[in-house]
Amino acid sequence: MICPILTKESAEILVDYCAGTLDPGRAAEFEKHSEECADCRRLIEAQREVWERLGGWKPGAVSPDFDSRLYARIAQEEAAPRWSQWRRFLQPAAPYSIWKPVLPLAAACAVLAIGFLIRMPNSRDGAKQVSAENVDIEQVEKTLEDLDMLTPLTVPPARPM
Amino acid sequence: MDDPLNSAQPSANTRVKRDMEAVGALGRDAELMLRVRDGDDTGFTMLLERHRAPVIHFLHRMVQNQAIAEELAQEVFLRVYRSRATYEPTAKFTTWLFRIATHVALNWLRDGRKEKGQESLNQKLLDGLERQVPDSGRNIEEEMLYEGKLCEVRQAIESLPVKQRAAVLMHKYEELEYSQIAQALGCSGAAVKSLLFRAYESLRARLSHMA
Repeated sequence: MICPILTKESAEILVDYCAGTLDPGRAAEFEKHSEECADCRRLIEAQREVWERLGGWKPGAVSPDFDSRLYARIAQEEAAPRWSQWRRFLQPAAPYSIWKPVLPLAAACAVLAIGFLIRMPNSRDGAKQVSAENVDIEQVEKTLEDLDMLTPLTVPPARPM
Repeated sequence: MDDPLNSAQPSANTRVKRDMEAVGALGRDAELMLRVRDGDDTGFTMLLERHRAPVIHFLHRMVQNQAIAEELAQEVFLRVYRSRATYEPTAKFTTWLFRIATHVALNWLRDGRKEKGQESLNQKLLDGLERQVPDSGRNIEEEMLYEGKLCEVRQAIESLPVKQRAAVLMHKYEELEYSQIAQALGCSGAAVKSLLFRAYESLRARLSHMA
């Protein structure tokens, strides 16, 4: 067996072994390995000690009126008008302390967006402006010359002798 | 044209069949919760009887205060009752229950601790100790030694990051499987193993004289 300390499996093997949930085959293999590995032995001892100390923490007794308080709350909720039950869906999902710092940023973004919408130039005017700017004066002159060339030459009427 | 009554019949049967299969796989709690869904409130009483203590104990160890733990547990069971109509037996009831309990506890720790939890750690410890060892049969010296050790354990647990704390409590005291803890915490199985290993590493450093 490769030493679990050196592998990613160490967490699972060590924790499961000390919790007594490691399957018997792997547990036997791990025990055999730990007989030869001082590091693993130390880790097992430490984990066992933690496990035992955690086990010593026994929680307190539950209040005798716990159920009656709960049923009273349920009854109160059931008796409340239907519209008031919707109030809890309107409450924010995240606590106020989480979304509080985001508020100024959101407000600043909203102001920027509104400002941008108001100040944004009309796209049609912009297109006209662009097309006007693209007109070259030389090109206009050339076109006018072409038009001149196309006009049929008029022969002046002959003077009467 | 399809008769709506006849067309609805197979889907209802399918649903009942699917529920029964799920109940077979997921156990007694799922069956009780289905009874609650169908309007039988005695099922809720039985669920409360079975899970009241584990939920309160888990929350007590999370927030280290018995009164707050009971308030949070009320919220947990209230949410279970509110969700009865939409309950589907897709996972073990305990997984769902501890997912709600974890969510409630993490919210309280994140949001309420600074605002509501004005009690000092010592007050909380005294509160817990008074309730925990009413008649242990130990002499004063043994009692002091026990209290000192217990105080160390509680402080060590409190020093863990909240997700690690929840993972350790569900693993050690509630004996949930890795997959159940993963579902309760909303993370992968590998992430849970990593959380647990880091948590136990910290606890070994604080609690074990061997480490």
